[in-house]
Amino acid sequence: MFKRILIANRGEIALRVIRTAREQDIETVAVYSDADACALHTRLADFAVSLGGHLPSESYLDMDKILDAAAKTGAEAIHPGYGFLAENAVFAQRVKDAGLVWIGPPADAITQMGDKIVSRQLMQAANVPMVPGMTEPAPDAAAAKVAADEMGYPVMLKAAAGGGGKGIRIVHEASELEGAFKTASGEALAGFGDGRMYVERYLVNTRHIEIQVMFDNHGKGVHFGERECSIQRRHQKLVEECPSPVVSEELREAMGAAALRAGASVNYEGAGTVEFLVSGQEFFFLEMNTRLQVEHPVTEMVTGVDLVWEQLRVAAGQELGYVQDDVVMRGHSIEVRLNAEDPSNNFLPSIGTIGNLRIPGGPWVRFDSGIYTDMEVGLDYDPMLGKLIVWAPDRKRAIARMRRSLEELNIGGVRTSATAGLRVMNDEGFQKGEFHTQYLEAMDLTEPKSDLDKVVAAAAAMHRWKEAHRTALAPRDSERLGWIARARVGKSSHPHIAGSTAGFTRGGANS
Amino acid sequence: MKYFVNINGRDLEVEIVDRAGKLRVTINGEPADFSYDEVDSDGQVALVMDNRGYAVSVAGGRNDYHVTLAGHAYAVEIEDERERAAHAASRERNKGGGIVKAVMPGIVVELCVAEGDVVAEGESLLILEAMKMQNEIGAPSEGRVKRILCKAGEAVSAGAKLVELEALPE
Repeated sequence: MFKRILIANRGEIALRVIRTAREQDIETVAVYSDADACALHTRLADFAVSLGGHLPSESYLDMDKILDAAAKTGAEAIHPGYGFLAENAVFAQRVKDAGLVWIGPPADAITQMGDKIVSRQLMQAANVPMVPGMTEPAPDAAAAKVAADEMGYPVMLKAAAGGGGKGIRIVHEASELEGAFKTASGEALAGFGDGRMYVERYLVNTRHIEIQVMFDNHGKGVHFGERECSIQRRHQKLVEECPSPVVSEELREAMGAAALRAGASVNYEGAGTVEFLVSGQEFFFLEMNTRLQVEHPVTEMVTGVDLVWEQLRVAAGQELGYVQDDVVMRGHSIEVRLNAEDPSNNFLPSIGTIGNLRIPGGPWVRFDSGIYTDMEVGLDYDPMLGKLIVWAPDRKRAIARMRRSLEELNIGGVRTSATAGLRVMNDEGFQKGEFHTQYLEAMDLTEPKSDLDKVVAAAAAMHRWKEAHRTALAPRDSERLGWIARARVGKSSHPHIAGSTAGFTRGGANS
Repeated sequence: MKYFVNINGRDLEVEIVDRAGKLRVTINGEPADFSYDEVDSDGQVALVMDNRGYAVSVAGGRNDYHVTLAGHAYAVEIEDERERAAHAASRERNKGGGIVKAVMPGIVVELCVAEGDVVAEGESLLILEAMKMQNEIGAPSEGRVKRILCKAGEAVSAGAKLVELEALPE
C-alpha cells in the first residue's frame, strides 16, 4: 500500500479522499491555491504545498506545479478527484512517466472514452446498446424509411447540416415518414443548402441512470449497481439516488453487464461510471466518466463499500478480492447537491461569506463538504459547496429523512440549491418515482405560499427593531475613543490584580 | 414602530411598541404572543410563537432581509413608516428611471443596448458572466437608456453601476 499520496484537487472531494486515506494510514499531501490557504483540505492533510494563484489555470490545472509538489513531498501516487485534471490523459501519462501511480484509469482509456466517435465504435464492438441511429445521412425518403423501420418508431429526422431546431421532425409511425421527410428536407435544403437527413430513434421521457464500476489491475471488475440522476437542469445534476425507482433486478443485471463490457473494452482500471439513457426498460450508452463521480456516496451508502478505499487499494496493485455476487445493495440513499446558486431566481450564481452554518445530524445523515464559517464563496471555482446524503431502509423513509435534514440545514451568506432539493422531496411526481431528465426544468421553484409568513415577519421585524435599538444605544465614535483612551491609561497605571487569570487562558494549551 | 413587511410578494404589517421595557407586538393588527431570542450575532434566532418553536435564520439588514425557516428561503422587504413614505416619493420621481447595478461581481460579456434605446421591462440590457455562467441583466422597468456606465469585456464588482435608465416622456 502507499505511504503517501498527493490529492490534486480542492473542496469536498479533496477532503473526501483525505478522510479515507487517513483511515488507511496513508499520509496525504494537499495542494492549494492562494484562495484556499485557509481551506479545510489545506488544514486537514498531513502536508500542504502552495501552488499560488487564484485561477484554476495558475493552480489546480498547472501540471508542472502539481508534479513538483509530488516530487518535493515524496508522494507515491496522485489522486485527481473529479474535475480539474481528473480526465486529462496527458496528465495521467505524465504522472506515470514521473514514476508515480495515477489513481485512475490508464491514459489510453481516458483518451478513448473521451472521444465520441472512438467510444461509439468501441461500444458497438463490445455489444453495448446505443441509441439506434444512422452513421451516414439518408439522401431520400426511401432510404430514411428503410432505416426507420429497422430501428422502430418514433424516430427523429435531423438535418445533416442542421442547427437551431430547423429541419427537425418527430415521426410517430411509418405512414408519416415520407411527408415529414419532404418538408424537413426542404427546410434544410433552403436553410443550409443540404437536404440530407439523419434518422435516429426518438426517446421520450428518458432518464439518466448510471452504473458504478470498479476494475483492478488484474482484469477483474465488478459493478456496484446504478444511480438515478434524472433530476437535473442544463445537464447539472441536483438530486441523485440509489437504487433507481424504475430499475428492476433484470435491468440492473443487463446494465451492469453492459457497463462491465464497456470498461473491459478499454482495459479499464479503478473506479468509473458508465452513463446510460433509460427509456422504459431499454437502455442506451451515453458516455463513460473515467473518474470518481460527485454522487458516488449514494452507492457507498447502499452497498457499504468505501469507493475511495477501493480506488486506493486497486491503484496500489491489490486484487479486488470479491466477485459480483458479493455486492449486496441494501436500503435506499439520496443525495442533494448544495450549490451556491439561487433556485428561486433561475439558479443565478450566488456569492458571499459563509456564516450561520447549521449542519444536520441524526442517524444515517452524511454531510460531505469543504465549507466552514467565514469561507469566501467567490467566482474562481465550481459553485458546489458540498452534498447532503441520507440512507434509510426504503425510498419513502429516505425522502422523509432528506426532507427533515434539509429543514435542519442552514447555510448563511449565500443562497443554495438546498431549497430546490426540498421542493423536489415534497414533489408528488418525485415521490412516486415518475420523473425524467426534463422534469426539474419544468418545476416551479419560486418560493411557495406559506403559512409561516407571520413567523417570518415577526423575526425580520424584531431583528430590525433590535438592530435599530443597538445602533441607537451604541456609543458614537468620539465617545468610544474616549473610553479606549481611559482604558489604556487604566491598564498602564494599575498592577495586575492577583487571581484574575481567567482572561489570559486564551492562546494557552486549552484553546 | 410600525413596519411594512413584504414576504415573497405578500404584505404584512408588524407593529412593535416598547411599553416600559416590555414589547407589545401586533401582526396585521392582531396581538402576537411570541418570544424572540438572538442565539448569536450571525442572525440565528430562537422564536417561539403559540408554543411552536422555530429555528430561524435572519440575514441582511435595513430594508432587505433573507429569512430561512425549515429549509425554505423567504425574501423579505421591510420598511418603517418614514421609509415607506420616502420610498414611495422617490419611486414616483424616478418612474421608469434609475441606475441598474451589478448584483454580483462578473465580466460584462456583451452590451445589448445603446444609449438612446427605448427598452421594455425585462428586456436584456447586457450579459454578465459570473461563475462561468452567462446571466442576462434585464431592464427593471420600461425606459430609455440614458447612459451606459460599463464596457464589454470589463470586470465589474458587486454594486457597480452598469446602465442608467430614464423615464419615457408621458
